Amino acid sequence: MNSEGDMLLLALVVLGGSLVAALTLLGVLLLRLREAERRVSEKETTHESVLDRLQENEYRLRTIIESEPECVKLQAEDGTVLEINPAGLRLVDANQAADIVGRQIYSIVAPECIDSYRENMRRVFAGEALVYEFKAITLKNRIAWMETHAAPLRDARGNIYALLGITRDITEHKQAEEQARRHQTELARVARLSTMGEMATGIAHELNQPLSAIANFSRGCIRRLRSGGMSPNELIEPLEEVCAQAERASDILRHVRDFVRKSESQLKPMDVNQIVRAVIKFTEHEARQHRTLVRLELDPHLPKVLADAIMIEQVVCNLVRNAVEAMVEANSPRREVVIHTRRFAAQAVEVEIADTGPGIDAAVIDQVFDQFFTTKREGVGMGLAISQSIIEAHGGRVRAESGRDGGAILRFTLQLSEQQAHKRERADSLHS
Amino acid sequence: MNEPTVFIVDDDLAVARSLHWLIDTVRLRVETFSSAQAFLDGFDASKPGCLVLDVRMPGMSGLDLQERLAAQRINIPIIFITGHGDVQMAVRAVQAGAFDFVEKPFNDQDLLDRIQKAIAFNSGERDKEAQRAQLRALFAGLTPREREVLDMVVEGMSNKAVANALGLSAKTVEVHRAKVMEKMRARSVSDLVKMAMQRDAWSKL
Ligand SMILES: Nc1ncnc2c1ncn2[C@@H]1O[C@H](COP(=O)(O)OP(=O)(O)O)[C@@H](O)[C@H]1O
Ligand SMILES: [Mg+2]
Repeated sequence: MNSEGDMLLLALVVLGGSLVAALTLLGVLLLRLREAERRVSEKETTHESVLDRLQENEYRLRTIIESEPECVKLQAEDGTVLEINPAGLRLVDANQAADIVGRQIYSIVAPECIDSYRENMRRVFAGEALVYEFKAITLKNRIAWMETHAAPLRDARGNIYALLGITRDITEHKQAEEQARRHQTELARVARLSTMGEMATGIAHELNQPLSAIANFSRGCIRRLRSGGMSPNELIEPLEEVCAQAERASDILRHVRDFVRKSESQLKPMDVNQIVRAVIKFTEHEARQHRTLVRLELDPHLPKVLADAIMIEQVVCNLVRNAVEAMVEANSPRREVVIHTRRFAAQAVEVEIADTGPGIDAAVIDQVFDQFFTTKREGVGMGLAISQSIIEAHGGRVRAESGRDGGAILRFTLQLSEQQAHKRERADSLHS
Repeated sequence: MNEPTVFIVDDDLAVARSLHWLIDTVRLRVETFSSAQAFLDGFDASKPGCLVLDVRMPGMSGLDLQERLAAQRINIPIIFITGHGDVQMAVRAVQAGAFDFVEKPFNDQDLLDRIQKAIAFNSGERDKEAQRAQLRALFAGLTPREREVLDMVVEGMSNKAVANALGLSAKTVEVHRAKVMEKMRARSVSDLVKMAMQRDAWSKL
């Protein structure tokens, strides 16, 4: 392979985006250039043309690296930064190369990440190519998350003499990830909560059992003690019962406490379209994985509804997920989920989730909202039951039907928020 | 045998035991059952007392048991124990003839008072039932002629009027009348009148 060929290939690979392959090539090239330079000067071979050629190549290579939008840098085994491109300078908030070149990379690694960073350095210098993340504190004290693709650079004798790293800022990505994770936790909490709402009466009843037993045993003891003629020994058994029942009560409470941490739901005037969009952000990935297109047909002029956004998100999420699952399971050739929002009568907004799956069997359509009803092998059968209880708690209704040309259509309504309803009433009375 | 018994039906054994322990303090006999079915299978309807019944139970609920007992004309008074938020069930139970209900967790004296009242009510009912049976037996001991005489006497007719109406001699009516008084164990005509009124009242039931 000649140098130009190498360069071309390198450029193609960089453009093609295969970072690790590019790194390796880059390493090889840099190495070759340096070796050549060294040989040239060592042997004092004054073949101008060769030197020119080499310098020209190095120049071209540097141009590519200089103009590379990602940070490219070389580090020594002790962490000294040997070289860094302009993108790299910008990344660490350096004004000129001298701010960072010749200095320790550890000066920009957050203290809590230094140990793992050292370990990664050690592995690269032991010959591994790695991808690692770390928290950086830049020269201007900006905190940022970085991701580095690192590979060892070897000299002609195969000794590793530097780490070549391509680094980019993944702070935004990290934040989005964190937000998604928090959101998932919140959804899970709501799922628990609404299940809990259904269980609340049951729990009150359950708790009442040990409490009344405790009261009865204790009152029985007091009465006997008051009327005298009772030996202390006779009290042991009922008191042991009291203890056992107290433990039973606290077990129930522990269970409940584990179940919900935050408990109050928050009904606020909300934009349904915004809720739908928020959900789609979180389900899009899954949908795309299953070659499903999610299309939104949102009425932009909807009044606000009174809703706990996170709960309604949970409902939409359940319905979209069911739609995707149905189409995947039936291996539907065309996979589309269409979400409509529209006004519904005077006081409500309707959300409709339609799919191009197999639809719902008429024989079971009356059961789909039942708890634990599922036709899926791995199904739990709580999705629609929870959704229904959420919607009904909001004063709305949810229905399922099969569309004329196949798929399932799930619809639910939400009440307009009070102010909106009043405004509307006033407007209506003005008009009439 | 005549001592009243408190029958406890609760699927929660700890609660049943605690009720037993509490009710023992007022020296009432207690029998506990862990399900409505066990009660139906094992209880002796001839025993006086009352039933303390948990509304919510798996299988046959307290309300179901109440229905079954009514269908079998077993009139034991029922005190329902209801849980938190079971108001509707309590209302249904009372409409269906329950004696009373207490909401868990309840005051011990309150429950014991209600149990005593239910037992008193039951024993009153049983006394009345016994009187009724006795009276029925007394009436059943009369001949048709004696019954005719009795009916007329309690309507305030004189011996003579009865004699005329039945085409008997006054002497014969006198004999029938003495026989009726004796068989009915009545000391006066007004006793007879009371008995007849009671009989009429029950026959209307
Ligand atoms: N979009 C849909 N298309 C076809 N069937 C559906 C759809 N949504 C729900 N169902 C049916 O309703 C059942 C219950 O749904 P759900 O309550 O979410 O429980 P799960 O998803 O765990 O089965 C599903 O198992 C499926 O049979
Ligand atoms: Mg589901």
